Amino acid sequence: MTTLDARSPIAAEAPDNYLTFRRGLLSWLLTLDHKRIGVMYLVAVLASFFVGGVMALLVRTKLLFPGEVTWMTAEQYNQAFTLHGAIMVFLVIIPSIPAALGNFVLPIMLGAKDVAFPRLNLFSFYLWLAGAACAVYSLLAGGFDTGWTFYTPYSTNTTLGGVIPVLVGVFILGFSSIFTGVNFIVTIHKLRPPGMTWFRMPLFLWALYATAVIQVLATPVLGITVALLVIERVFNIGIFDPSMGGDPVLFQHFFWFYSHPAVYIMILPGMGIISEIISVHSHRHIFGFRFIAFSSIAIAIFSFLVWGHHMFTSGQSPLMNVLFSAITFSVAIPSAVKVFNWLATLYKGSISLNTPMLYGLSFLFLFTIGGLTGIPLAVLSTDIHLHDTYFVVAHFHYVMMGSALIAMIGGLHHWWPKMFGVMYSEFWGRIACGLVFVGFNMTFFTQFMLGSQGMPRRYYSYDQIEGMAEAFKMYHHISTGGSYIMALGFVITGIYLLHSLFAGKKAPANPWGGASLEWQCTSPPPHDNFSKTPRVGDCYDFSAVRWDEKQEGYVVDTEAHTASTKNGKGH
Amino acid sequence: MPEGASNFSGTVDWVFHFINYINYFFFFLVVGLMVYFVWKYRQKGREVYARGPSHHTALELGWTILPTIIVVVIFFMGFRGFVDMKTVPADAYQIDVTAQQWSWQFKYPNGATSADLYIPAGKPVKLVMRSNDVIHSLYIPDFRVKQDVVPGRYTTMWFQADHATGEDDFHLLFCTEFCGKDHSRMNQKVFVLGEVQFDDWVTKQGRWLDELAKNNPDDPTILWKVGGPKLVGRCLSCHSLDGKSGTGPSWGDYDGTGNIWERLDKDKVHKVDGGKPVQDLIGPGRKYETREAYLRASILAPGEVIVDGYGNVMPTFKGQLRDPEVDVLIDMMKNLKDEDGKPNFDSKGKYIGK
Repeated sequence: MTTLDARSPIAAEAPDNYLTFRRGLLSWLLTLDHKRIGVMYLVAVLASFFVGGVMALLVRTKLLFPGEVTWMTAEQYNQAFTLHGAIMVFLVIIPSIPAALGNFVLPIMLGAKDVAFPRLNLFSFYLWLAGAACAVYSLLAGGFDTGWTFYTPYSTNTTLGGVIPVLVGVFILGFSSIFTGVNFIVTIHKLRPPGMTWFRMPLFLWALYATAVIQVLATPVLGITVALLVIERVFNIGIFDPSMGGDPVLFQHFFWFYSHPAVYIMILPGMGIISEIISVHSHRHIFGFRFIAFSSIAIAIFSFLVWGHHMFTSGQSPLMNVLFSAITFSVAIPSAVKVFNWLATLYKGSISLNTPMLYGLSFLFLFTIGGLTGIPLAVLSTDIHLHDTYFVVAHFHYVMMGSALIAMIGGLHHWWPKMFGVMYSEFWGRIACGLVFVGFNMTFFTQFMLGSQGMPRRYYSYDQIEGMAEAFKMYHHISTGGSYIMALGFVITGIYLLHSLFAGKKAPANPWGGASLEWQCTSPPPHDNFSKTPRVGDCYDFSAVRWDEKQEGYVVDTEAHTASTKNGKGH
Repeated sequence: MPEGASNFSGTVDWVFHFINYINYFFFFLVVGLMVYFVWKYRQKGREVYARGPSHHTALELGWTILPTIIVVVIFFMGFRGFVDMKTVPADAYQIDVTAQQWSWQFKYPNGATSADLYIPAGKPVKLVMRSNDVIHSLYIPDFRVKQDVVPGRYTTMWFQADHATGEDDFHLLFCTEFCGKDHSRMNQKVFVLGEVQFDDWVTKQGRWLDELAKNNPDDPTILWKVGGPKLVGRCLSCHSLDGKSGTGPSWGDYDGTGNIWERLDKDKVHKVDGGKPVQDLIGPGRKYETREAYLRASILAPGEVIVDGYGNVMPTFKGQLRDPEVDVLIDMMKNLKDEDGKPNFDSKGKYIGK
């Protein structure tokens, strides 16, 4: 007989779960439980995603019309795309996977009861809230229109009052990110149970580890940079503004020294999720564990050496352009390796097309496009033409949204049964995923055309000279249409996920057949995660996973699982 | 890509398309295999455990090394194109560009200026660019060129357009670095004119002075009053109007010897070429018939005679100032003071007389 209770003593000893462990608002606000903090992050991040998404729709809707429109001035448009970028980068994508999903999943996957510093973890969350509050205040204080990149001397001199508050917000958010990173690094080093060696650690944790290293090393530079910018604005000390003796290109170096690694803060955890999703839903050992794991570390290291590729036209020396172009290609290799490994994981698998897997496959499709279109941007002579056009916009949306965010949504669906103990509607999940996929490609693939045709980014209107509107209008229309389809997909997602919380079918402990530790505790997990130190097997060895009709879920035969790993069936 | 129209567009497009074909290959490879695997290995029933290989070192090394080789090749292709873009030919025709919120100014060697860019066909053109406020970026999609225009430093770019558009057709020029409210209205046209046509255009464009004279036929002083301040700006970085010594002799009074026009009249004050009074050179039958002739030579051939105490550093303004403009400057020198002896111009060349 294979029942969960018999196989997994952990579940039997957990009568209640983390959601019902304590009740009341204060029990959430003052919680030190990594799972509750993760859920609070999730709510906050999704709320920000909604606001950033509305901004994006405003921008796209404006671009239906080549000329001026009465309902949105150029100033408002500039603020809208600035807000969209700043919210999506600083409030959504950077914290989404590590802080929301990572917080929830990391200790359980690792076999720990919590992160190493639970109080610091809660503090990070409140720092995030404080940073977000600063961003909201900046809107009341007059807004800001600098673009999320805050390039000087425009950002030094723009008269809008919201610039300093939002910079303070970014500074605070940076610390939230650093503390989360420190917490994860220490947790992974110190809280692994016996048997959880580095090479038995799920790839999602490898990815979070690599991410945490970048967060800790790069984010302070962002903090210093925005602090210098505030100092320049407040005290008129010339650091970046040439009229005060500063150097505007220096700002770009500082900014991208953080913001390029930040791109990998966004994408690496997404890659980690995809490694989990593809392996689990193919019911098959991940292909090339070590190559994937080390490519995460390689990407983390290379990410610090390539920031100058954002500045090929900035006026920095041609020699630097050449060096940065050359080094940039080094990032392409580990990314390509990962794609091929995921692909090979599908080979001879037993692939179930559940919603998380559909997102996983969407990621593979979109990330391939996003990655490949990075090549003409890394090549010097072609980047000169494509830089600061819609081609760049399309490229980074494919990577940041089509990859990082799609991975986040996929991960959310993957762990939703675990987080809340309920199943969502598979039918609507698949429909929504399809809408998002189609809408996304309509929105952003057209922007590759726009960009290679020469349409510059951050343009409110495109009708000043005869011929411009005709050249660009059709693409803008398709793109905007796509964004509405995508929005519909996300709205449906929001509805069925919320619906599942109240009326969803009860989730089994292991709905997908995963072999890593989080699937061995109940859904939702008990407050302590594990009452006994769990026994660790190879998290990608699915030979001991069985379907159990009674629970309508999978069970892992722990004895067989750990035994088969010991027999040398590991990596 | 829009239809290319410069010396760079061919190679840039070639590299771009080359990369695209490689990208198509890998994209269809990845997505094709993905779709095939998903179909072929779809889950049947509740069969869960699939035995596939967990790794294959040779294969993995292969798909690490192959992309490495490909990107190295691609890098060099882009590198070569970039070096060409950064190597400005020595004989390039220089146009000075000033960007400010939210307009461009293009200035040609003869002093003519325009808001749209006019360039000669079949000739390398070099843009030397500066910004008066924030960062802008000059982008001509058809030429495949782009360069940020950064305050506090000069940036340059060059290109050559071989096909004339004439004055009826044009290429687009965009600002591509976000610069505030009207960023999307910093667009201009680029006209490529045949060499003769371009010379005509730039000469005509430089003829604002003639228009000024034509429109004010009853006021001969209008030229130095209005035209003088417009032209004198470039002189003032070396020559002062208030007697202070600079890189070159002041146009104003110094040591009580009178201003530049008066000094030429006073005996043995203005000495040149090692102690010779300039008056010995001026007069009927001498090197310079008149004082005007001497001043004109000083502007167009500054090395002919060197004022004592100064080096031979002034560049010629031949080709940069046209004759009527030189006349305006000389008129200005004559009229530095009004009848009451009060200065007509402030130290920055602005007319402050009646």
